[in-house]
Amino acid sequence: MRRQLALVMTAVTVAAAVSACGDSGSSDSKTIKVAYQKFGNFIGADELFKKIKPVFEQQNPGVKLKLIPVEADENSYYTKLGLMRRSKATAPDVAYEDTFFVNSDAQAKFLMPLDSKLSAWSDWGQFVDAAKAAGRAGDGKTYGVPMGTDTRGLWYNKKIFAKAGLPADWQPKSWNDVLTAARQIKAKVPGVIPLNVYAGKGVGEAASMQGFEMLLYGTANKLYNDQTKKWVAPSRGITDSMNFLNTIFSEKLGPTPQQALDPHWSDNVQGQELPQGKLAIDLDGSWLPQSWIPGGASAWPEWSKTLGTTPMPTQNGQAPGKVSLSGGWLLSVGANTKNPDAAWKLVQLAMNKENSLFFYTKATQVSVRGDVTSDPAYLQGNPTQKFWTDMVSVTQYRPAYAVYPQISNQLQAATESVITGQATPDKATSDLAGQIKQLAGPDKVEGAP
Amino acid sequence: MTTTSSPATRQAVRPPARPSRISATSPRRRSAAVAAYLVLALVALAFLLPFGWLFLASVSDKATLGTAIPDHPTLRNFSEVLTGDNLHALINSLVLSLGSALLTLVLAAPAAYPLSRYSRRFGRPILLGLLFATGLPITAILVPVYGLFVQLDLLDSIPATTLFLTATGLPMAIWLMKNFMDEVPISLEEAAWVDGASAFRALLRIVLPLMLPGVTVVFTFTFALTWGNFFVPFILLVDPAKQPASVAIYQYFGLHGTASYGLLAAFSILYSMPVVVLYTLVQRVLGNAFALSGAVKG
Amino acid sequence: MVAVGLPDARARRSRATRGRRAAARVLPIIPAFALIALFFLGPILWCLYASFTDVALTGATASTPHLIGLRNYRRMFEDPAFRQSLWLTVAFVLGSAVIGQNVGGMALALLMKSRSRIARAVVGAIVVGAWVMPELVAGFVWYAFLSDDGTLNAILHGVGLHGKSWLYAMPLLSVTLANIWRGTAFSMLVYSAALSNVPDDLLEAAAVDGASAFARLRHITLPLMRRAVMTNLMTITLQTLAVFTLIFVMTGGGPGTKTQTLPIYMYQSAFKFYQLGYGAALAIVLLAVGGVFSIVYLRMMREEV
Repeated sequence: MRRQLALVMTAVTVAAAVSACGDSGSSDSKTIKVAYQKFGNFIGADELFKKIKPVFEQQNPGVKLKLIPVEADENSYYTKLGLMRRSKATAPDVAYEDTFFVNSDAQAKFLMPLDSKLSAWSDWGQFVDAAKAAGRAGDGKTYGVPMGTDTRGLWYNKKIFAKAGLPADWQPKSWNDVLTAARQIKAKVPGVIPLNVYAGKGVGEAASMQGFEMLLYGTANKLYNDQTKKWVAPSRGITDSMNFLNTIFSEKLGPTPQQALDPHWSDNVQGQELPQGKLAIDLDGSWLPQSWIPGGASAWPEWSKTLGTTPMPTQNGQAPGKVSLSGGWLLSVGANTKNPDAAWKLVQLAMNKENSLFFYTKATQVSVRGDVTSDPAYLQGNPTQKFWTDMVSVTQYRPAYAVYPQISNQLQAATESVITGQATPDKATSDLAGQIKQLAGPDKVEGAP
Repeated sequence: MTTTSSPATRQAVRPPARPSRISATSPRRRSAAVAAYLVLALVALAFLLPFGWLFLASVSDKATLGTAIPDHPTLRNFSEVLTGDNLHALINSLVLSLGSALLTLVLAAPAAYPLSRYSRRFGRPILLGLLFATGLPITAILVPVYGLFVQLDLLDSIPATTLFLTATGLPMAIWLMKNFMDEVPISLEEAAWVDGASAFRALLRIVLPLMLPGVTVVFTFTFALTWGNFFVPFILLVDPAKQPASVAIYQYFGLHGTASYGLLAAFSILYSMPVVVLYTLVQRVLGNAFALSGAVKG
Repeated sequence: MVAVGLPDARARRSRATRGRRAAARVLPIIPAFALIALFFLGPILWCLYASFTDVALTGATASTPHLIGLRNYRRMFEDPAFRQSLWLTVAFVLGSAVIGQNVGGMALALLMKSRSRIARAVVGAIVVGAWVMPELVAGFVWYAFLSDDGTLNAILHGVGLHGKSWLYAMPLLSVTLANIWRGTAFSMLVYSAALSNVPDDLLEAAAVDGASAFARLRHITLPLMRRAVMTNLMTITLQTLAVFTLIFVMTGGGPGTKTQTLPIYMYQSAFKFYQLGYGAALAIVLLAVGGVFSIVYLRMMREEV
């Protein structure tokens, strides 16, 4: 019996030691592994890499390209990517990731700085500055080449607007203009939701980015001060944004709190509320047509005739007059790649003009390359593409720090407390400021009265 | 129950197949039976109702998350999900689930036997210690397991993934098995021992047949658990061609969460079928086994 | 029976064979326990170790984690969200497993005993159908059932009642019901198997003696099934503790944090906020919760095990 016990204990210890200690395996330099997300109808990256695989292998004799499509939702994709990178043997040479992760992945020493390579790449001059900045980490080095972006603004239903006596060519100049239109719709067209601004934890990041930050970045404040490198809370802008949400929900200009807090609300907006004409104005993203085009999850051929687009105005119309936030993807090179030159060649090939255009079209991405933007083929097929591309000139990126997901979670909780009436906008702001101080550390936060 | 059972119940463990026709036809029995059928019908209905959306969405050409009777019912969703890749994924699921369910039985039965019959003092604390751990969601141990698989060079291997799935199900399986085994009286094996049969033979020929209902519970339990497992194959298998249906189902979702609900519903029905069929088959076999064991005992 | 049968069986065996027997007794356990030790216990020990570090999935501490002592645990116990998660988890387990699935499964098993084969097959298939439904699908099925324009509200409306935003108004009850729906089949199977061991003639004899159905259940069937009850309670408790996908799809842990059970909180900490160390500490607490439940069951049935 005792021997048995000893045996079990030995096995356990060995297993624990084995699983805890570092890595030993090595990947060879003759294979370049590229990992990317493939999710449902979102197969742009898969199509791109399948397309360029034979080209790459022909251009680099003796080097094989191994595709690792990861079929899962975003969180699961990053979980798997993070796990793969934890050991040298499985870390991909090139990976597809949200611009948002560049900073923390660089800090984790997962990524290779690309500055010297980029400066020698003639195409790099075609990329717009905002997108270039999105690949730059806090240390000033650039770790990725952006694969396009997305922008945000207002979608509105022209048919409902006609019934409400609002212009088909709607151009709100301030938050007040947006509220006025919503009130007019509420009065004249019963049975529709006048205005949807995402809020609350149910829809997750949509509440932070399409919702709260689209408001905040239209005020005099931002969430993060790049000069002082501090988070900004509390601020006048936060309180005003909370007040705006409070107005929408207390005047019943928006969805009911029940609807807004439903974890599937953003799916429902895209799949049901907009196509079924139940929602008049929607503060949302450039990608919505993805599910309306033929073959999409909820095909809606008439979408481009029914819906109009207009920029989200700044609070009082102050310059530049409109707001957009951006996310988007980039290609990064693994820090431990055995063949950095081949990995970099793959990035160059994947993001040259022809292949960028291919990916933008397949993945409903907004162009960040000047030469693609001016290419007539780019604007074909999607009537709103020009509008969303024009928003790139004003667009801003989220503060891409490792603590952001937690702060974002608190933003969502704060907006939720406002729309459910659990907290006044002032209380929600001060609560939020307290949470941010706790998460980021008191010395990393500044107020802006 | 083992220690408290009276001689009367001990004898009675072999149910004599004496049909009691007299009382079965008595009016009181009959009204009780009618009431039981009524309640069963209600329960079945209550369990069936939530499926409503699934069936409606699967035959709808414009399915949403709302429940609506489709204007133009169609089987298009089904024909669309019946792709080669999906069938392949289902076969992968079958390999993983059958493999780990069978392996679980093969490993759990011999382990449970000594625990049930003699090594109680020594085995029990270990078993219980392991049992607590099965309350952990698999997400809790993903990181070390991945590291372990990298170390042992087992990534992307279906047999190794099966082994891991088996390991996570084993504590529960051994525990269930041991407890079902405790219900089987030892006197029958003692007779076999006297005849010179080994413990292994006694287990195989006498104990397991007598606890067949329990064995099938363990089997179905392990099978169903593996069948629905997403994270383990997702993390441990790399090649998309090796992924099972629980991972393949994600193809019906979109980047921002939107799903093709019609296809999702059709695929879900397709996906659940094998387990329902398995259960029905097991029930059949079980029915025969009851008759069989009755014959052996009688 | 074991206690009665074993001594005289042993007495018959000689000393020489005893050593061989002892080996034979231990050997069959080894393969199973070795596999468990390697793939299950090892990772859990890593979890325990990680819970004392600040290891992360990304960011600076992903590659160079530090030992931080009990900081994760201290943070946890100061965190009101954790306390709430803990109680929600306990309520969810009590409501959906200990009460819902357990009692429901027992009732179904009793009702189905000695019913016609067809009735058993049909009801069994429906109930088991709910069980084998992948968790992800079960989540969507229940979301659609309880949503504002879902089946339940449509039915209530049909009989002249007012519907509700169930997932908003009573989120914990909603996920509890969904988990009962999903898990009752297992208890039913366990109890059906156990019932087949309850001797019919004993019940017949009691019936002839005039014992009511309830009395027969209370004094004959249930005492004979005590062990099955404990086995079942233990199993479904541990299974329910780990429920993640079902709740995640139905409510995402919300509204607010009203259904944020420990597995959801842990997933969020480890894979949404990338704090693997804190996630590991939560896992260890979850392990302890499972331990507490198990010990309670074992105490209740002490003389049985």
